[in-house]
Amino acid sequence: MAKVYVVTSGKGGVGKTTITANIGCALASRGEKVCLIDADIGLKNLDITLGLENRIVHTILDVVNKKVSASEALVRHKQLKGLFLLAASQIATKEMLSPEDMKRIVGELYGKFDYILIDSPAGIERGFRNAIASAEKAIVVTTPELPAITDADRVIGLLENAGMGEENIRLVINRFKIQMVKRGDMLTKEDIQENLSIDLLGIIPDSEEVIVATNKGIPVVLNGNQGHGIARVFENIALRLKGEMISVEKDLQTEAGKGIIEFFKKLFSRN
Amino acid sequence: MFFGFFRRKKKDHGSRKEAKDRLQAIVAGRRHSVPVREVIPAEVFKNSEQDVVRQIKSYVAERFMVNEENVRVQFEEHNGYVVIITNVVFH
Repeated sequence: MAKVYVVTSGKGGVGKTTITANIGCALASRGEKVCLIDADIGLKNLDITLGLENRIVHTILDVVNKKVSASEALVRHKQLKGLFLLAASQIATKEMLSPEDMKRIVGELYGKFDYILIDSPAGIERGFRNAIASAEKAIVVTTPELPAITDADRVIGLLENAGMGEENIRLVINRFKIQMVKRGDMLTKEDIQENLSIDLLGIIPDSEEVIVATNKGIPVVLNGNQGHGIARVFENIALRLKGEMISVEKDLQTEAGKGIIEFFKKLFSRN
Repeated sequence: MFFGFFRRKKKDHGSRKEAKDRLQAIVAGRRHSVPVREVIPAEVFKNSEQDVVRQIKSYVAERFMVNEENVRVQFEEHNGYVVIITNVVFH
């Protein structure tokens, strides 16, 4: 039976889709059978992040309209045999999907996967309600800026209101800028965690690697970076989801010593 | 003066402190919201609405030393929360 997670946030642009894709890849590369559902109806970005945009035949709308079953609509990842995507529809609107539809879709896939990760749209409207309808657990994503954190707080409240226990909601802080924290110009992980009062699942340092990987349509954990840098952070998060006890401090260690390396790289690189 | 040239200019302080204080204020305010269904059913609330308005007006008027006519109270429901909007007019 699958563990069903919704990856959500209050504010848009905090990195939910990238995080969903990379956690999915990290889990699948460890032998787990993973299904990613793009519930961001009308926008459809998860397929692009995974480099699968040309392979989509059916979308979630076809499943809702009962043209095909959820299993038939899935697209397998090019490199990872255990990773599947149910793509969103770009022509649909959030109103074409209901929480009951989502429950039916997840219900059909539930027995076939180890993990189902639902990429939620930002905000707290219909799309959010659809995305959380069938999820047992939530990964709330925020960046260390005030609007993102306060919106995350609102989302946590709504998840709890929908009956999700505090122990099932975990936080990922994305685009964490260690140098700014050192300068005293950014909230620390303790500041954020203290105010949101939920467990921390991971801290992802701000990184250009993620942008480069997304440009190529290859999630950073598959971009030849396995076990290093930012890829290591996503792998840590995946392992924590599997129940391994890895300190979140390890996420920040990937950045330690990077400053001097970057300095020499820049010094000796031409162009 | 010569050595002062090499001395790093000290920053007053970072913006973290302001961010932390503002975050605490916002989050603390939101945490006081209570879901409607955990308190009383909507019909019961409707019946007691005027009584709630009267009590808020009387409390705010006393607290801010204004007349009760200067206090306006409105109720709105947002995603299962009752939001009480209180405007106080000061002269």
